[in-house]
Amino acid sequence: MRKKRRNRFRLDLLVCAGTGCVANGSFTIKAELEKEIARQHLASEVQVVTTGCQGFCERGPIVIVQPDGIFYQRVKKEHIPHLVEEHLLKGRPVKDLMYVPSPEAPPVSKMMDIGFFKHQRLIVLRNRGRLDPENIDEYIGFDGYQALEKAFTQMTPTEIIEEIKTSGLRGRGGAGFPTGRKWELCRASPGRVKYIVCNGDEGDPGAFMDRSVLEADPHAVIEGMAIGAKAIGAHQGFIYVRNEYPLAVKRIRIALAQAAAYGLLGEDILGTGFDFTIQVVRGSGAFVCGEETALLASIEGTVGRPRPRPPYPAKQGLWGQPTNINNVETWANVPVIVLRGARWFSSIGTKRSKGTKIFSLVGKINNTGLVEVPMGITLREIVYDIGGGIPGEKEFKAVQTGGPSGGCIPKNLLDLPIDYESLTNAGSMMGSGGMIVMDEETCMVDVARYFLNFTQQESCGLGQTAPNPVLTTLRYFRDEYEAHIKEKRCPALVCKALISYVIDPAACSGCTVCAKKCPSGAITGEPRKVHVIDQSKCTKCGICITVCPDKFRAVKKVSPARTET
Amino acid sequence: MIRLTINNKQVTAKRGETVLEVAQREGIYIPTLCFHKDLSAYGGCRLCIVEVKGWPNPVTACTLPAEDGMIIKTDTPRLKELRTFSLQLILSEHPHACLICDREEECAQYQECIQKSSITFGCKFCSSNGDCELQDLIDRLGITEIPYEFRYRQLDVEKSDPFFERDYNLCVLCGRCIRACGEKRDAHILDFIHRGPQTLVGTAFGLTHLELGCQFCGACVDVCPTGALRERYSMWAGLPERSVRSTCALCSIGCSMQINVGAAGIINTIPDRDELCVRGRFGIAPIVHHPKRVTSPLLRKGKRLVQVSWQEALEYACAQLNKHQKKTGILFSPQLSIESIDAVVRLAGHLACHLTTSAVLAHDLKALNIKDIQDEAVFVFLNTDMIDYSPLFLKLRSRLKKRPMIITIDAVASKGAEKADVWLRPLVGKETQVLQYLFAQKEVRATDTVPRNISDARALCNGKHIYVFCTAQTGDIAVPKHVTKVPLTSMTNALTIRDMGIDTSPARVLNDKNVDCLYVLGAVPQLSRNYASVIVQNCFLPQFDFDVFLPTAVFAEVNGTVITIEGKKRKLRKAFEPVGNAKPDDWILTQMCTMLGCKKRRPASTHTKPRRARRPRQQRRSEAYPLQLVTRENAYVYRGHVLSSLMKGFDRLRLDRRAWVHARTAKKYGLKNDMKVDIIGHNVTMRMPVLVTDAVPENVVVIHHPSDGMVESQPVRLVCTE
Repeated sequence: MRKKRRNRFRLDLLVCAGTGCVANGSFTIKAELEKEIARQHLASEVQVVTTGCQGFCERGPIVIVQPDGIFYQRVKKEHIPHLVEEHLLKGRPVKDLMYVPSPEAPPVSKMMDIGFFKHQRLIVLRNRGRLDPENIDEYIGFDGYQALEKAFTQMTPTEIIEEIKTSGLRGRGGAGFPTGRKWELCRASPGRVKYIVCNGDEGDPGAFMDRSVLEADPHAVIEGMAIGAKAIGAHQGFIYVRNEYPLAVKRIRIALAQAAAYGLLGEDILGTGFDFTIQVVRGSGAFVCGEETALLASIEGTVGRPRPRPPYPAKQGLWGQPTNINNVETWANVPVIVLRGARWFSSIGTKRSKGTKIFSLVGKINNTGLVEVPMGITLREIVYDIGGGIPGEKEFKAVQTGGPSGGCIPKNLLDLPIDYESLTNAGSMMGSGGMIVMDEETCMVDVARYFLNFTQQESCGLGQTAPNPVLTTLRYFRDEYEAHIKEKRCPALVCKALISYVIDPAACSGCTVCAKKCPSGAITGEPRKVHVIDQSKCTKCGICITVCPDKFRAVKKVSPARTET
Repeated sequence: MIRLTINNKQVTAKRGETVLEVAQREGIYIPTLCFHKDLSAYGGCRLCIVEVKGWPNPVTACTLPAEDGMIIKTDTPRLKELRTFSLQLILSEHPHACLICDREEECAQYQECIQKSSITFGCKFCSSNGDCELQDLIDRLGITEIPYEFRYRQLDVEKSDPFFERDYNLCVLCGRCIRACGEKRDAHILDFIHRGPQTLVGTAFGLTHLELGCQFCGACVDVCPTGALRERYSMWAGLPERSVRSTCALCSIGCSMQINVGAAGIINTIPDRDELCVRGRFGIAPIVHHPKRVTSPLLRKGKRLVQVSWQEALEYACAQLNKHQKKTGILFSPQLSIESIDAVVRLAGHLACHLTTSAVLAHDLKALNIKDIQDEAVFVFLNTDMIDYSPLFLKLRSRLKKRPMIITIDAVASKGAEKADVWLRPLVGKETQVLQYLFAQKEVRATDTVPRNISDARALCNGKHIYVFCTAQTGDIAVPKHVTKVPLTSMTNALTIRDMGIDTSPARVLNDKNVDCLYVLGAVPQLSRNYASVIVQNCFLPQFDFDVFLPTAVFAEVNGTVITIEGKKRKLRKAFEPVGNAKPDDWILTQMCTMLGCKKRRPASTHTKPRRARRPRQQRRSEAYPLQLVTRENAYVYRGHVLSSLMKGFDRLRLDRRAWVHARTAKKYGLKNDMKVDIIGHNVTMRMPVLVTDAVPENVVVIHHPSDGMVESQPVRLVCTE
């Protein structure tokens, strides 16, 4: 296996090409950079490479300059000529493009000094942002496929399974079942034909961990699956990707072709006589297909509907054969465990939850993005040290974890160390790693309604279990429910039926801006006289509060209590 | 042997049994709704949940394999609460007002007659009142209130299909109909559609059942626990008073069935041990209580038909028979009981007259032994619609481990052809040739006589046991040694006819100028000449003139025996007194025999020898007769009357009272759908309406005549009468 030499170039510019940054124009940035670099005759000294998702999606497009690790964010096309001239040519990093943690703080130039990155521990995402996912040589250059070689040529299947068991790796798809144990069960199931499946359906709203792994480092998943195949005795694998991830599908297909070309997939891998091929299967827009039996039904070509378990897929899965299905993140952990050893892996994390977990940190948070942290880290560290706190200096209220079947963790549990058990005890669950931060302006009842609606729409129509968002919000935010029910009041001022928009007569100057913008003609008032909103016409669209000039802030949302006497 | 404990009781189980099966076997009650013993377990309703010691959550017993050492509780307070919750949720989408009403008793006294309403909004207005599993569950679980807002789906009742209608406002999504249609009958017409709260049971693309090829076997109606699927004919007949086990005699398969009887007569017929088809399921009760059924003896006096007593009618008939003796022709349908056939033969022997039966039989017809069909089979259907014999094939299939591959060789499209794995569509008249090519040793190439997919069919046959199913219409065909020919017929008692050596060429008798008197039992021939006397013994009036009409009982009203295509004796059991003044065939014949002084014992031989069924002469078309008439066996007949002429549902399903022509042929003759046309050939003159369809090839006219061998395939011309 060739190792590509990279010190041919003086500087490497890594342009993030995850879906978020691509949507923000990172390919344009790349093109512009190349054009400018050529114009400045730097093409032989400076290389521009696109990488997978860097994780700091809030601040895209992102450009990192190596080997110094200078981090540029919110890069626009107009910035490029100045950037090339100042930093690449003259060696003076551009402060304006750097990250500032708060308006008064000085800019942070190095990536690893930024709180968002500093506190993370990258294992699954080890290669993000430092290689081109469409080039297998770069993956190999970072010890890629060495674990495969070790597993295929130096270990027996039983030894591989033991290693995974000892590492304590648990399924990252949500349930947290011990992965080594699952492999063992599948291996022990009678049957000549066995299958390996990677669950890339990622249906939880707000979750994009799996997408990032598949876009940034598809080889990690492929290598993991191959090792799993060897351990279990399967010769065919499927990567099931939801239909809404075309870039992930594209990158996987390229990676599969390249791996096959190098003899790392296909017949007689590494000359060991073991065959293993992987096929990509695309989903068709159904949340329920994230459930393993529905997913398998979907691969088989039948309608994605869950099947009764037992029998479990490890015994009877695809086409009735023993099937081992794991989440993307789980698979991506496998090569690093095999290479660096179970003991190393189990030294990270808590007693019962080993290793790291990727969370998609979204919602009312400054640093929205993808973070990988060791198990046992507290919620507070994630929200404040990594996430940079709540925007607008608002109050933290709760964090929702685990997707539509998860629950909300309130402020008094901020110091909860994150692992499978602690989250479950708090009434929530790890789930696939969605972490939605909520502040004082989030209505918990509304949140529960949103998730309930989601599961109701996406269910197969026949089950009757209530999801956790309702239960945990009831448990921790009972007072909000009571306000809604008993006082007909929404304390967070969210629920449209319970709020009204009013103009504060003391603050209104009669500038008429709101009256002009109101789409339902509900605001009346003469110039320079106090304006009034007609509640019977108001549709609560919120335009008036947005357009009222900051110096007045005359439009207010209120939710008065209306108890029945 | 697996040992487990249920409710502190030690029980044993076999490997593969579920906890529910064990509990039911031990008499321990666990409520169920979506479970059905003949179908796979679904686990959807969550009513059968049980607690397993050591497991965190309750599990559905219907999907839980029994394991050694399991400790199960089926009736804890927690389970009761969860079951109540689940059922209440299910009922929140089902009109439940009556289910939990506390004035049920008073209502029962008042409202019995105001039952039929166009919207079912409570038990009192539902056709399944008293026969509903939801009512049973409410009682068993002791539910007295449903605290959720009632959501009525506001769907129109689906009435566009015949035989049964569907009110999905009442559906509880148990999925039993889907599993019955798929697993039991292999038709797969139904499935869940949409998702979330919009989930419903439906068909592909919202097409009607007729469009999708549903065969209206009624399996879905039989498993529906609510009133969502209901049989039209018997919907408001109420609950049966008793059930009588009998046999369906509408075709040669002789399926075992149950006749449900009420105060006013036969309510309906449902499957017993065997699966039924649309004929046995929906065709019997409407015949018995048909408004056009003649139930009093009729005698022609002058120009009028007068109702007379049996004495008078029988005396007249016997007088005629006595007068014409040898010059009588007796034509009967084998769709009688064996006892009646014996009596006919006795009578014919006494009169020494012509005796013939309206059945075309293959000369090599023999009892079909299901056990002879081996696994790894290929079934080849030659000019035969597999669907006509579906209960038989369901029986065959259930014995085989692997589903047999199906090849159909037929120039005419049919539902069975569409279901086949390979459908070879030869030119009309070249079917047997294609069959030979199927088995040819050498490689075969597609030509204009040999269809393109012949190689697919040949590939399917490799290394398999091949069975060729054909009816007598196909004539004599030869098959190689490694292939088994299985002659089929839809005629009841066919084997008896053959064993007794009865003549099966009615055309010969009908064309014989020496026959003056005609006695027709259960057949409706096309008469081309006048007779001195015509005696008709049937349930419905024929289209020709007659002197005396002897009304017969339907097989559901008599005791007797039939012989099935498997050579088995099946009993007919009398479920109800014959309607009106109708009498069983054997009673009528016995009376006549007594009045004529026939000997008790049947004579050793009958009048004429059986004829070998001729291969239909491949007459060439000419300018005078440019089209080819093809007669297909019609298996949907009762005593000479096509079921389509008696019941509208059958007419819509079968469309067999019309001449089928291709669009281009129709255009040539200026024909449109439903136009009446004359079909004129050497020995056929018929008039019937036309159906324009691409199921038939060009220049071919297909008719589905009752299998009386009287209209053979031959060249014809069409004359538009409008």
